[in-house]
Amino acid sequence: MFVARSIAADHKDLIHDVSFDFHGRRMATCSSDQSVKVWDKSESGDWHCTASWKTHSGSVWRVTWAHPEFGQVLASCSFDRTAAVWEEIVGESNDKLRGQSHWVKRTTLVDSRTSVTDVKFAPKHMGLMLATCSADGIVRIYEAPDVMNLSQWSLQHEISCKLSCSCISWNPSSSRAHSPMIAVGSDDSSPNAMAKVQIFEYNENTRKELTSSGGPTKFEIHIVAQFDNHNSQVWRVSWNITGTVLASSGDDGCVRLWKANYMDNWKCTGILKGNGSPVSGSAQQGNPSPSLGSNIPNLQSSLNGSSAGRKHS
Amino acid sequence: MSGTKPDILWAPHQVDRFVVCDSELSLYHVESTVNSELKAGSLRLSEDSAATLLSINSDTPYMKCVAWYLSYDPECLLAVGQANGRVVLTSLGQDHNSKFRDLIGKEFVPKHARQCNTLAWNPLDSNWLAAGLDKHRADFSVLIWDICSKYTPDIIPMEKVRLSAGETETTLLVTKPLYELGQNDACLSLCWLPRDQKLLLAGMHRNLAIFDLRNTSQKMFVNTKAVQGVTVDPYFHDRVASFYEGQVAIWDLRKFEKPVLTLTEQPKPLTKVAWCPTRTGLLATLTRDSNIIRLYDMQHTPTPIGDETEPTIIERSVQPCDNYIASFAWHPTSQNRMIVVTPNRTMSDFTVFERISLAWSPITSLMWACGRHLYECTEEENDNSLEKDIATKMRLRALSRYGLDTEQVWRNHILAGNEDPQLKSLWYTLHYILFMKQYTEDMDQKSPGNKGSLVYAGIKSIVKSSLGMVENTRHNWSGLDKQTDIQNLNEERILALQLCGWIKKGTDVDVGPFLNSLVQEGEWERAAAVALFNLDIRRAIQILNEGASSEKGDLNLNVVAMALSGYTDEKNSLWREMCSTLRLQLNNPYLCVMFAFLTSEAGSYDGVLYENKVAVRDRVAFACKFLSDTQLNRYIEKLTNEMKEAGNLEGILLTGLTKDGVDLMESYVDRTGDVQTASYCMLQGSPLDVLKDERVQYWIENYRNLLDAWRFWHKRAEFDIHRSKLDPSSKPLAQVFVSCNFCGKSISYSCSTVPHQGRGFSQYGVSGSPTKSKVTSCPGCRKPLPRCALCLINMGTPVSSCPGGSKSDEKVDLSKDKKLAQFNNWFTWCHNCRHGGHAGHMLSWFRDHAECPVSACTCKCMQLDTTGNLVPAETVQP
Repeated sequence: MFVARSIAADHKDLIHDVSFDFHGRRMATCSSDQSVKVWDKSESGDWHCTASWKTHSGSVWRVTWAHPEFGQVLASCSFDRTAAVWEEIVGESNDKLRGQSHWVKRTTLVDSRTSVTDVKFAPKHMGLMLATCSADGIVRIYEAPDVMNLSQWSLQHEISCKLSCSCISWNPSSSRAHSPMIAVGSDDSSPNAMAKVQIFEYNENTRKELTSSGGPTKFEIHIVAQFDNHNSQVWRVSWNITGTVLASSGDDGCVRLWKANYMDNWKCTGILKGNGSPVSGSAQQGNPSPSLGSNIPNLQSSLNGSSAGRKHS
Repeated sequence: MSGTKPDILWAPHQVDRFVVCDSELSLYHVESTVNSELKAGSLRLSEDSAATLLSINSDTPYMKCVAWYLSYDPECLLAVGQANGRVVLTSLGQDHNSKFRDLIGKEFVPKHARQCNTLAWNPLDSNWLAAGLDKHRADFSVLIWDICSKYTPDIIPMEKVRLSAGETETTLLVTKPLYELGQNDACLSLCWLPRDQKLLLAGMHRNLAIFDLRNTSQKMFVNTKAVQGVTVDPYFHDRVASFYEGQVAIWDLRKFEKPVLTLTEQPKPLTKVAWCPTRTGLLATLTRDSNIIRLYDMQHTPTPIGDETEPTIIERSVQPCDNYIASFAWHPTSQNRMIVVTPNRTMSDFTVFERISLAWSPITSLMWACGRHLYECTEEENDNSLEKDIATKMRLRALSRYGLDTEQVWRNHILAGNEDPQLKSLWYTLHYILFMKQYTEDMDQKSPGNKGSLVYAGIKSIVKSSLGMVENTRHNWSGLDKQTDIQNLNEERILALQLCGWIKKGTDVDVGPFLNSLVQEGEWERAAAVALFNLDIRRAIQILNEGASSEKGDLNLNVVAMALSGYTDEKNSLWREMCSTLRLQLNNPYLCVMFAFLTSEAGSYDGVLYENKVAVRDRVAFACKFLSDTQLNRYIEKLTNEMKEAGNLEGILLTGLTKDGVDLMESYVDRTGDVQTASYCMLQGSPLDVLKDERVQYWIENYRNLLDAWRFWHKRAEFDIHRSKLDPSSKPLAQVFVSCNFCGKSISYSCSTVPHQGRGFSQYGVSGSPTKSKVTSCPGCRKPLPRCALCLINMGTPVSSCPGGSKSDEKVDLSKDKKLAQFNNWFTWCHNCRHGGHAGHMLSWFRDHAECPVSACTCKCMQLDTTGNLVPAETVQP
């Protein structure tokens, strides 16, 4: 049984993204009110907002944490066509006394000509790297060659996806068995769009990111399970740390949790309404109305999975 | 209103009322039904709301359009536009003494009769009502009426009004509009611009026009077909939507020449377009004959300059009901709430949810954002109805030191919660393997052989390596006059049986101790079956009796024992016939296989070998006893492949810790995600070729990463220690080298290896222990080491006293304090300002201070590393 409780977020407009740091002790939220808030978890388990500042001059779509070995570093991206890297500064202001920490902008990445729709740090073994994707379909990979200097980022790769990109995800695996990989999702709704998810792999020899979707690939992709229970568009999905529980949210305003049993049969193990109230189960289950949006997979961020345990095969 | 297709309107102020209008006006009251039953006569709107009909007004025929009076009125004053162009004020209230009494029934008549298309109340001057009419020659099509013209109810006393009410209707007719606009044109839609009271936006026949009432001779207009349903965004007063057929156009009034964007065309003509009043940039549209409301989420602030700005629009659709929707209305205040009505007047009330973004934290709590709100959702701790996820299980197991019991390896399954038979089997297998390894190693010292590595290789390899042909011999059943063929046990088979746990080490092939241990654990059925497989039917019966008479035992075991005792060897006996059919109904697999064994033909034991519910180790032991070499090989091969495919940990018994075992573990990890068991298990396996396997390294790496993410740093360190014991190659290198300022040689060399060579080291400090090393100068060049910033004594000296602690470390003999005191002697320094000193001194300084103790240094050494300030999770949690 899952129980939800509300946290006073105090954002003045829609919240677009929630992101935990590596330890799950800190959380960042971003909103259409152009601000990012950082939350710290107290010993008692309550969340306290320890920083809130204006980050962009447009809706902030995504916020993401770097691995703590690079310090307390956030990246955000916005409708204002930029992505920014932020670092927490300790001890330089009196804000600590008020329980507020101080975040400074280390860099602004201005290469995109359109709204930057997602930003993600690479797995830590690759060093301090950052991937962004934008509405005009370009994935950009930046690297900070000196991890001590967060203000210098060089654009390493530019990959054109030919489709409006909406989300991006690194392969979390640090295995030496395969090169770094990025999956990019598109929300292009035109029916003749090509593959909506593209996977790029770094090729050591040519030092280029290669595409491996559309056409013959070395990866075999098969559907393990498919759920239509939202009866509408599915907006976001997220894996838990071991990749064994999947959470999804959809236009029906519900959050659903999915889990596989020992024979890979996936079942819904929990439903909650978006406002935290439990769903009276029978009414939802028996709803026979035909699914609407679900045949148009909308990949707003269906790719933020992370699987620690599984070997990539 | 066309009469057949109802429209729906929320009351602007009384938020629990709405009106449905088709040929008549019906006022409804909405109630929540969360805590109460549905009342008789009310209509269900949604799971938790229902509507009751308050009143019906059928005074106004030929309704074409309706608009609700915008300023507060308790009596629901409505303006109705009719097919003949007249606009009538009507009410759904019951109170006849209201101040609007005089307005009700008032009619506003245009010069020429034609259809009234649209009505709009002025949001600022509540008495102004604009009406848009069809074209009539050169007549005006937009008329603005002042509903209070002719007389004002405030001044006229009530008595007089009542008198006048008896007069003919003509007194209530108003024929002189305040303004007349749009000559020689038709008006299809209207809306007042909130920027100014006197600005009116009208969708005319072929253009959109902005009329300025301050100067009626002038108008701003743009030619377009999209003239229907003009509506202003309540959040951005310069943003306007209008539509034509299936296309919605969005306009920016600051650059009115062309639409800033047009939305994707829909196949059917649109009937209604409305901005959400409670949320920025959300436009709802409805087409004819559709059960979908399409929503356009314009997620950005419109800018006047950004010509090349690509607007970000997210299209969504909601389906409130299965029928076609006639009309919809946003709730004026409730967030994203909407009510829809179908042609047959069924209504439904629902909320359009915002897109929910969600994220899992490493400790399996889910956070999501819905609109402006955040919700956190955690698994309830003491809930046993649902099986816990492996992430939670691994966390709990890490806390209970799972995998770290190297003395009694089998006990690890108890540390894992003693709930998973596969884990139990795995750890017993590992236990036997390690046990046998120890034993064979001892043996090998006496007589060299190669069985040591075989132990790791699992039964599959052991069986394969058995080269000598085994002959079967007939064995007597004890207590029975019967003989059965049993394979002669060669060394390999004995080893296999030992790994299965049936017999102990050595050459002793007695299963007695094993039976006793099973009986002790209450596994009577299993014990009885094992006894029977060792041809001891009497012992089996005895065990079953014991089980029946014990406290937890099942009385039915007596019945089984009885059935067993009736065993007869005759082929066509009734006993045999009944047993072979009835055994399938036995629930316990061991009881089942006992009868399968007894009723089977010699040499064909499929009923036992392929009973999947029986533990693999028992089946394998059985096979070793009764199958010939070729049969056994084939059986083991088959079983191994089955186990590998299923990722069943019981199969580790067969594969051992070999590459096959890694394959099996891989499918187990793919299935469960349990990298913890995989890591610990593979570490136990010696041979480095297994540990070198990339997959094994990957599991270990991921498990360490998990422990780090959970802040189980102590557990991770314990794991690393455990790992380096079993896999010496994984020993980490030294992390820091401290070299002398002067000569550049490492000062740690002599510190660690030859502590007593420092003859010239000063005997500074008060340590009474002569064995303690004292290094206050570089062992290479004898130059002094840096001084502690606090005590100003050269480092390498023991800390003489800790503020707040007892005076010296040697007096306190509690081991914990001693350990800490040792730590107090350590060198520490800030990586930022390079100042430092004794760890103990530094810790006590920074307990009260933020800045470095060195004068004029403002470095906030302790706050620099935010991770360093995190507490390991194990110390917080129970």
